[in-house]
Amino acid sequence: MEILNIKNLNFTYPKCTAPSLRDVSFSIEDGDFTVLCGATGSGKTTLLRLLKHEIAPHGEKNGTILFFGEDISGVACEKVGFVMQNPDMQIVTDKVWHELAFGLENMGVSQNSIAKRVAEMASYFGIEHWYDRDTSTLSGGQKQLLNLAAVMVMDPMLLILDEPTSQLDPIAASYFISTLKKINLDFGITIIIIEHRLEELIPICDRLLVMENGSLLQNGGPKEVLSKMTADSGLIHSIPTAAKLYRMLGGTGDCPLTAREGRRWIKRNYSTECKGLKIPVYKHSDKSALEFKNVYFRYAKHLPDVLKSLDLNIFENEIFCILGGNGSGKTTSLSCAAGILKPYSGQIRIFGTKLQEYKNQSLYRNCISLLPQDITSIFLCHTVFEELAGTDIEMSDFPFDLSYLLDKHPYDLSGGEQQLLALAKVIAAKPKLLLMDEPTKGLDAEKKTEMLRVLHALKKNGITIVIVTHDVEFAAAVADRCALFFRGEVVSVGVPNEFFSENCFYTTTAARMTKGVFHNTVTVEQVASMCLQNGKKERYL
Amino acid sequence: MKSFEAYNPIVLTAYFLSVTLVLMFCQNPIFLLLSFLGALLYVLIRNQGENGKLHLHYFLLFLLFAILNPLFSHNGKTVLFVINDTLITLEAVVYGLVSAGCVITVLYWFYSFTKIMTRDKLLYVFGKLSPKLSLVLSMGLRYVPLFADKTMRIKNAQKALGLYKEDNILDKCRGDLRVFSILLTWALETGIITSDSMRARGYGKGKRTHFSIYKFHSCDYTLLLLVAVMLVFTLLGIGIGNIGFVFYPGMAWEDVNIFGILSYIFYGALAGLPTLIETGDRMKWKYLISKI
Repeated sequence: MEILNIKNLNFTYPKCTAPSLRDVSFSIEDGDFTVLCGATGSGKTTLLRLLKHEIAPHGEKNGTILFFGEDISGVACEKVGFVMQNPDMQIVTDKVWHELAFGLENMGVSQNSIAKRVAEMASYFGIEHWYDRDTSTLSGGQKQLLNLAAVMVMDPMLLILDEPTSQLDPIAASYFISTLKKINLDFGITIIIIEHRLEELIPICDRLLVMENGSLLQNGGPKEVLSKMTADSGLIHSIPTAAKLYRMLGGTGDCPLTAREGRRWIKRNYSTECKGLKIPVYKHSDKSALEFKNVYFRYAKHLPDVLKSLDLNIFENEIFCILGGNGSGKTTSLSCAAGILKPYSGQIRIFGTKLQEYKNQSLYRNCISLLPQDITSIFLCHTVFEELAGTDIEMSDFPFDLSYLLDKHPYDLSGGEQQLLALAKVIAAKPKLLLMDEPTKGLDAEKKTEMLRVLHALKKNGITIVIVTHDVEFAAAVADRCALFFRGEVVSVGVPNEFFSENCFYTTTAARMTKGVFHNTVTVEQVASMCLQNGKKERYL
Repeated sequence: MKSFEAYNPIVLTAYFLSVTLVLMFCQNPIFLLLSFLGALLYVLIRNQGENGKLHLHYFLLFLLFAILNPLFSHNGKTVLFVINDTLITLEAVVYGLVSAGCVITVLYWFYSFTKIMTRDKLLYVFGKLSPKLSLVLSMGLRYVPLFADKTMRIKNAQKALGLYKEDNILDKCRGDLRVFSILLTWALETGIITSDSMRARGYGKGKRTHFSIYKFHSCDYTLLLLVAVMLVFTLLGIGIGNIGFVFYPGMAWEDVNIFGILSYIFYGALAGLPTLIETGDRMKWKYLISKI
């Protein structure tokens, strides 16, 4: 049974000449788990919002959208659930229980049946423990789970999610995605999700839709779509590692999607005699850029230490990545280095000088800059042009292009464009040490590649870069050295190839995929080169 | 039986309103004494004898109020003594003590009220009066920590980007203005998304119901009825019981009748109710534990 049938859908925003959706037609079976992907600005969000008439954008619309054969504009609100990107802004009320009940209150459901349905959903999602809490005290992952539960409590038939995990850390994101799959299997609810993080989604989805410039390019099962995908597609960067390897090596037959399938595929098709990848020895400069010596920090007297005898030395002109779980003190260490938080014991030296000796804001003049995680907090003006006008640097001096964005409001840019704009502002301040907190949050794979290139260009100009990130794939690709934080201490430091191939869990998919097959391979490019070096297995049939 | 604070917030609000309003509108030393004992005992039993500082503060406040009246009011016929040509009369001293006692007693009741009535209980009571107001308050309370957090983030981001040029006040003010302007833009952005989220969950579609985690149990009805009965008898006594007390020019009681005496008994019971319930609850637990 078809739950959705979309025919020749065209949509143009007011005051726009080019349509945002062009002739989109597809249908979705009841109970399908569908992933919708495409580059920023390809019309994904517009399409999904048109499926929820309460929040559909205004503009000129042609074509039909049928929900179980009925026009979408007549469908009751509770039939279609919608979860958005930002965990914080979607929450309406101050208490978790009130947030869960909000939708049902709007439907005019009686007190007793609200109590029953809320109780049911709270226990299904494991929310009972924080049922009485204030919504502002929840973590990002909990907030997004609450948003999902608050929609599920209305008993929808179709669940639409617009980049729900882009603001979450990888562990919370994995948990969210597995919860979605569980809902899909347990209740048979049809799910349509837009996401950049395809590594985990593609293996579990039933259908993959690919959009480009407002039209639907691909529509089918994930394996089928991946094998049809052309090399110039922007999405080629965001497909699962195993599939990437398969494409790089020009594989034939069934496309592997997960690490397990990828590993089998390598073993079946390539000889694995030569195991170790030769890595050029990394030599860092002997001058220290940022040094933590026995640093202790806690947020309040009665709270536990967040940083515990932290010792870390970061050298000039290296790209250093700090990894670790939530609450391991990564961001806190950056804030301490930037002079925002004051450790109660220990010493921090920046370029050999004690942090306290930088007086009268001189620390921030041509010395250190911090890009916060919440990037929107650094924008001041109403257009990109104004943001950059205050700086004394030419547009052409940036290692990237922003000229096509000048008239836009900084809040209207995509996550990746916002990061680049923020970087531009920082570069204009000419820092020698750049601290970045989660620079890849909310970025699609294409923008991550761009970010990688920009950071390398900055390094060439002599800037030292310290990155705090959850994104192990990005760290493996960009870092000269990495460190793992655990409970406020550094537990291991090393160059990416050693660092990641030693780790079992906290490592890249490529390293997990080739564990025991090759040594030292942490990126898909390295795996590919090892495969080529070893050569294809001879097959005697 | 359950702990006093576990009763339905509406019953609790009704209780506190009755017990304090009667006291405030009726300047009667016996009511005051009963009410004071009830309020103090409940605070003591609830805090297990802690909060020594609170009692000290209230006592100092009491002294202050009590002394002020005889210094400024010279009514009354019984002169106690004269300081610097100022007459201190017995009536003014007693009036001062009574009105200061009244203030302190209301403060004690209010202290218990604020400790018992947490934010969601207050919102629940408001919700019964006006569901719309309650939702608005709930959303407001949601935004306060959200905005405070964002302000902090913006400030830190601005600092670490070197936008505060120097450590002086003028620069700080300019910086704060900048922070405020960004916060405003961000608030509008947030508002748009929140309103989308509300509409997506059917807000504004029709008549809303009002959900809360508090329910009326049979014991709540019982307590409400009890409070109502006591209040009626107390008011009856105030109306026709001749319980008046005159301070000036000389102190005198009116001729109290049976309704007056009943009203003392019932108000005393009303004021002692929280302590009684609390004690009963504790005793029951002790008994249960000894059985286990």
